[in-house]
Amino acid sequence: MHDRGLVCSLGASYDEFTLNAEFAVNEGELACLIGPSGCGKSTTLMLISGLLPLESGSITLFGSDLAGTAVHHRQIAMVFQEYALFPHMSVAENIAYPMKIRGTKRAQRQARAEQLLELVSLAGYGKRRSDELSGGEKQRVALARALASDPQLLLLDEPLSALDAKLRSHLRQEIRRIHDQAGITTLYVTHDQDEALSIADRLIVMRDGKVVQSGTAQQVYHTPNSHFVATFIGEGNTLPSTVIASESAGANQVIFFRPEDVRVHLGEIGEYLPHLSFAASVVERQEFIGGRYRLQTRWQGHTIICYSARPIGTSTLNLSVRMRDILRFDEAKS
Amino acid sequence: MSRGRSKVEGAFYRRLALPALCVIALFFLGPLLLTLSSAFVTEEGRFSLSAIVEVFSNPYTLRVMRFTLTQAALSTLASLLVALPGSYLLSSYSIRLRPVILALTAIPFVIPSILVVLGFVIFFGNNGYLNLLLMRLFSLSEPPLRILYSYKAIILAHTFYNFPIIMNLVTTYALSLDRRQEAASYTLGASKRRTFFAVTLPRLLPVIISSASLVFLFCYSSFAIILVLGGGPRYTTMEVEIYRQARMVGSAQGAAALSLFSIAVTSALLVAYNRSQRTHARQEAQSQPLLLQRRPAKALARALALLYTIITSLFVLAPIASVIVRSVYGPSGFSLKWYRQLLGFERASSHMGTALAALTNSLAIALVVSILAVGLGTSLAASIQRRRRFGGALELVGMLSMTVSSVIIGLGYFLITARLKGGSAMSYLLVVMAHLIIALPFTLRVMLPQYRKILPVYANSARTLGSSASHAFVAIELPLLKGAMVSGAIFAFAISMGEFNATLTLASSTIVTLPIVMYRLIGSYNYQGACALGTILIAVSLAVFVATSTSKGTTHA
Repeated sequence: MHDRGLVCSLGASYDEFTLNAEFAVNEGELACLIGPSGCGKSTTLMLISGLLPLESGSITLFGSDLAGTAVHHRQIAMVFQEYALFPHMSVAENIAYPMKIRGTKRAQRQARAEQLLELVSLAGYGKRRSDELSGGEKQRVALARALASDPQLLLLDEPLSALDAKLRSHLRQEIRRIHDQAGITTLYVTHDQDEALSIADRLIVMRDGKVVQSGTAQQVYHTPNSHFVATFIGEGNTLPSTVIASESAGANQVIFFRPEDVRVHLGEIGEYLPHLSFAASVVERQEFIGGRYRLQTRWQGHTIICYSARPIGTSTLNLSVRMRDILRFDEAKS
Repeated sequence: MSRGRSKVEGAFYRRLALPALCVIALFFLGPLLLTLSSAFVTEEGRFSLSAIVEVFSNPYTLRVMRFTLTQAALSTLASLLVALPGSYLLSSYSIRLRPVILALTAIPFVIPSILVVLGFVIFFGNNGYLNLLLMRLFSLSEPPLRILYSYKAIILAHTFYNFPIIMNLVTTYALSLDRRQEAASYTLGASKRRTFFAVTLPRLLPVIISSASLVFLFCYSSFAIILVLGGGPRYTTMEVEIYRQARMVGSAQGAAALSLFSIAVTSALLVAYNRSQRTHARQEAQSQPLLLQRRPAKALARALALLYTIITSLFVLAPIASVIVRSVYGPSGFSLKWYRQLLGFERASSHMGTALAALTNSLAIALVVSILAVGLGTSLAASIQRRRRFGGALELVGMLSMTVSSVIIGLGYFLITARLKGGSAMSYLLVVMAHLIIALPFTLRVMLPQYRKILPVYANSARTLGSSASHAFVAIELPLLKGAMVSGAIFAFAISMGEFNATLTLASSTIVTLPIVMYRLIGSYNYQGACALGTILIAVSLAVFVATSTSKGTTHA
């Protein structure tokens, strides 16, 4: 099913760290590799690009095995966290660099460079030097340069991490737009879950050098396959499974549910579908997060987070969550 | 985290180190092993420890060893005594003259020793400018200062030459220290005095030790100064004795046995220097200096600062200026006679007659040396920087020739020439290679820090855009290294132009370079001729000085 796209089975070991990751990305997809820092995201990109040696496993891109191919013959472009614009070249020269290596004629190079600058909304920037650009502009030039090498696969290593919050959310839409226009299969590394959720066709969640789950944003968010994934992507409430009366004590299980699935009752909890109720939860804090209120409550020694459209005037609340919105996991390791 | 490269990548950088490693093995380790092994071989070709036993039992050589260590210790102590108060003054008060004084103290780093000797004689000599000035000021009939050709002269020359080095290193380091720790000490109730001794001084100690051991090393292996100012076998040091044994007594075995001892001492000193340097680099890593206001100078401090300006310029600038003045202004007034002789427009006496040949030789040798040094230095630096596991070992190999004094390097080459019959072409080749071996560690030291500033991600980026490893090196890294290559080349050029010790030790009398002719002119009391040649060396040193002080600002972070 994955013969059109990227299929990886990566094995490599370093001092105190072993990477053993398997995943696939379909043709034309924008996949986000996400995980806590130190989980091996950047190393994965280095292995795919060939900048680090693969010890075992394989990398298959559109049906051909790349493990023995030199970096510069892989047709995999990479945008680095530091952008790495060559400081001794102008913007246009930077973008023309990969075309020059392939022996593209000068006139064609210039035309293509202008076209790419237009694509990244930087028309007319060709003559500038890289130290005259802002962070966001450098990022877009680095993207244009990577696209100029006509890659089969584009790797982006935390491309927005050096930018401020407002620019980040604007640029991630830009990256999505540029990806859709260029149609290149893309693997995007980030540690920012909002960024990943908003931009990706596919999320690949990593932990300790392994891929723990891969799927669409909705799949990963609504049906996480482990407590780690559930808490890493989005916010959630974790309680021991013993709070459900019918469950036997001693089973090393936890229950998990999202704050938005918690119903806030100003009065008594009425009769409705099967649910778990948390009567008389004490409101410890409420903060306005724009559009709604985030409540931190305490129920029998457990913290429960939920949302309310209106500010809460009372000190205790009745909360409930429907049984079908509750997930069960083995004892949380983290 | 992302600094590593694949095995394919490593191959290119591994090959890059090969030329430099071959040159070091063939032209440094080879001659050195030859030298050291001849300490154990008698003239009849049999193994014997007699030379070593002789060296360590002969009262004369024992006296030489003792004198060498004593004069180095005294010179270092004197340099510290002159330098440290100056450093304190410059780093704790805001003094307007500070940049000027610091610039002056950087000069001795780039001045060849033969020039120091000449400047010392011209300025402090019995008929020197200082004596002339004092005689005119106090209407004396006799020169009041008679310091040439004595123990005093050696210590003084070493002090004048080396105290600026300590002052420069300690002050620059003290200025870069994070002063928040002093501020913290004040807020905890410590007085200024207490803070200085409890907080500031302990942090400065490593740099004081490392600069002192560097100066000790310089004084220990000092050659030209002792040769000219020592005035004979009474004040002779190890280096001079090695030269004398090899070239005058004709005892290669004795010279080799002395070299063994000398290398042991210099290696120990370099290890001490390296270790103390690493400690202070580690202790003060990544501290952003806080720009606390320094104390405004009081009248006393201002006066002392002025005094230091005068002292440093007197000892650093005056001898150099004297050389330039003396080259055109003799007892019979202004004259360009010596330059006309130098350039061959006017017939000249014996030594001056070879001056033009010496000038062209020196320029040609220095040109070849600088090209080779930059080529080898760049490729070695790349290999050191981009090879994770062997980088440290490679750097050590590149710096290896610093552990051996240039006289001993010259001795190795002399022993080779004694066995080869290659004529003057071969001799010039050996001079070039000796200069290259001496210049390479310096070129490497200039280039490595610049190379470290080039992020590996540039080359990585070029690789993913389609460049081969070698293309990425040539198209991306080399252009970014341009500044470092230029300063490395200038450094190598200047070292070769001023190189005296190895050249004198290895070369036959038919080979002339600028410093060699200067030495012969000084020996035959033709000071004005020597000064004309010296002025050319000053110009070269000035170029290095300018290059090193401007290259600091032009790097791509």
